[in-house]
Amino acid sequence: MSSPATAGSPVSATASTILSSRRFWLVAAAIAIGVLPMIFSDSYWRTNLIVCAVNVLLAIGLDFVLGYAGQLNLGQSAFSGIGAYASTLLITRLGVPFWIAFACGVLLAGLAGMVLSIFAVRLRGHYLAIASLGFAVITYQVLLNWISLTQGPLGIYGIAPPPPLAIPGLPTIAFSNLPNLFYLTGGFALLTYILLDQLVRSPIGETLTAIREDEVSAASLGVNCQKWKVFAFAVSSAVAGAGGCFYASFVGTLVPDAFFVTESFSILAMVIVGGMGTLIGPVLGAILLTVLPELLRGVGDLRLIVYGASVTLVVLFMPGGIVQAVRLITAHLRRRFAGMPADIKP
Amino acid sequence: MLTVILQQGINGIVVGSLYVLVALGLTLIYGVLVQINFAHADIVTLGAFVAYFVTHLLSGNYLAGIAVALIVGGALGWLLNAAIFAPLRDRGNELLPLIATIGVSIMLQNAMLVTLGPIPYAFDTPYSNHVIRFGGIFFTVQNLLIIVVSTITIGLLYAFMKFTFIGKALRAVSQDRETAGLMGINPNHVIMLTFIIASALAGMSGAMLGPVLVLTPFAGTSVIVKAFAIVIIGGFGNVEGTIIAGLIVGLIESYTTQFLDPGLIDIVVFALLLLTLAVRPTGLIAERREENV
Repeated sequence: MSSPATAGSPVSATASTILSSRRFWLVAAAIAIGVLPMIFSDSYWRTNLIVCAVNVLLAIGLDFVLGYAGQLNLGQSAFSGIGAYASTLLITRLGVPFWIAFACGVLLAGLAGMVLSIFAVRLRGHYLAIASLGFAVITYQVLLNWISLTQGPLGIYGIAPPPPLAIPGLPTIAFSNLPNLFYLTGGFALLTYILLDQLVRSPIGETLTAIREDEVSAASLGVNCQKWKVFAFAVSSAVAGAGGCFYASFVGTLVPDAFFVTESFSILAMVIVGGMGTLIGPVLGAILLTVLPELLRGVGDLRLIVYGASVTLVVLFMPGGIVQAVRLITAHLRRRFAGMPADIKP
Repeated sequence: MLTVILQQGINGIVVGSLYVLVALGLTLIYGVLVQINFAHADIVTLGAFVAYFVTHLLSGNYLAGIAVALIVGGALGWLLNAAIFAPLRDRGNELLPLIATIGVSIMLQNAMLVTLGPIPYAFDTPYSNHVIRFGGIFFTVQNLLIIVVSTITIGLLYAFMKFTFIGKALRAVSQDRETAGLMGINPNHVIMLTFIIASALAGMSGAMLGPVLVLTPFAGTSVIVKAFAIVIIGGFGNVEGTIIAGLIVGLIESYTTQFLDPGLIDIVVFALLLLTLAVRPTGLIAERREENV
């Protein structure tokens, strides 16, 4: 037994266990959320950080129904609009406390998604995609035309940020500054990620995947496919509603144009480019497609052409998105370095 | 009052027959492939712009504009099938082609936005200003042209599907692609032909919708959402249902504009869509398509 060869393997084994452990990556993500506002000190990039967090929320919500249950929700723009307008109107018109209004917004968005999908899941295939697209168009029209409630294209201005959080024994946390607002949205996105991750790893996730792979077989095993598709759709709508609530409280302004159908397509692009069917993919896609256009400001109108082209090209040539690309590269590297002395067994 | 109802009825049938042409394309493709071509909307828009520019270049020859839009639409349909639907056919995921064509649609819309700008084009055809009076009812020669052209097209399409060998092959592939293949029909050719016909219809209806719509790079989107509704209300893959549903949606549009509020059109159409899904999910004319239920 040659000592240098065996001495190397426990170390690399520990390293790879750590790298593949979920807890390590979650702690790393939490640290990243904590450090990011300190790295980016100007308010422009801090604002972009919050936009990133909101987009991550919307993208993982969409991926839950698209990547796991195999149903396309093109109504993300509408559901986040419902969350945003419902919570804002409850706060400004009725004086409801922020977090109760937030819960109501999330609930209402989820409920809307549930009702819509109950109608559409009775049929297989593309009905849900089309019904949700139609719903997105209608919601936009309602926001635009129900002027007594939404003030139509004039919009609602001066929406206050979330109220300060007073935990006894700790200094009060005010959300009027950008770093704290980022901690709130980023923390919520991380929490949602953990929850969805637990969900897709549970028997529920396996049920959804079974429906995605073969609905008839799943039904023959006693799975109530319609019920679970409605569940997945409602969850993704509720998550989008939460994204909308945060969007309203951080932008401070609500106009219907922010919830036009094209927003649904942008979120779809994030999920596809990142890699659907994994939760980390949409996170990467959301960050990339939020930050990249900011870096390419000069390109202007070409931004959306790049979005469209990347969706089509990814679907055609790399349907697993960034995640698949990274897996292919690491597998290649592993093969390449497989002949290294450290891995040769005596 | 009666004249208003009649007048709006005519307007509704004019717009509705164009919606039928757009929706027929969607439903034909769904029939042979069980897939949705989301870029269908942009073929409509492109058809409208092609007709606009050709009409202007040829100093007012609108009919030539319609013809060129038809050809451009058909060519785009061939390209979409060859570049996207054919490579994705054996991937097994029924949503991938839809998502890929959403990407194409975003690309085309924004490419048009960069080149043509966001300001609506005023598309006046030489026939828009010739008004025929019939009692208290007015209609333009343009309206007459739309009704004549779309009726002839729908009639020809119907005859093609019912009586020609290729039309029968198309219906055979819709019913059962594998068995049709065993009978010596090449499904790939039939699918390609379906895309060309469907997209040519979209290009042509775009050319005729151009003067009616607010002609911007996003004009097709408002049409396609209604076309989707028509296809669901009429029953996916069902030609007769699509024609009836298209006319109904056209009438709803003109009567909602007259008696309620133009902003409510989409909402009323969508309510009808939900009602259809709730009561008759296979569409107005139920077809024996068990695999959809």
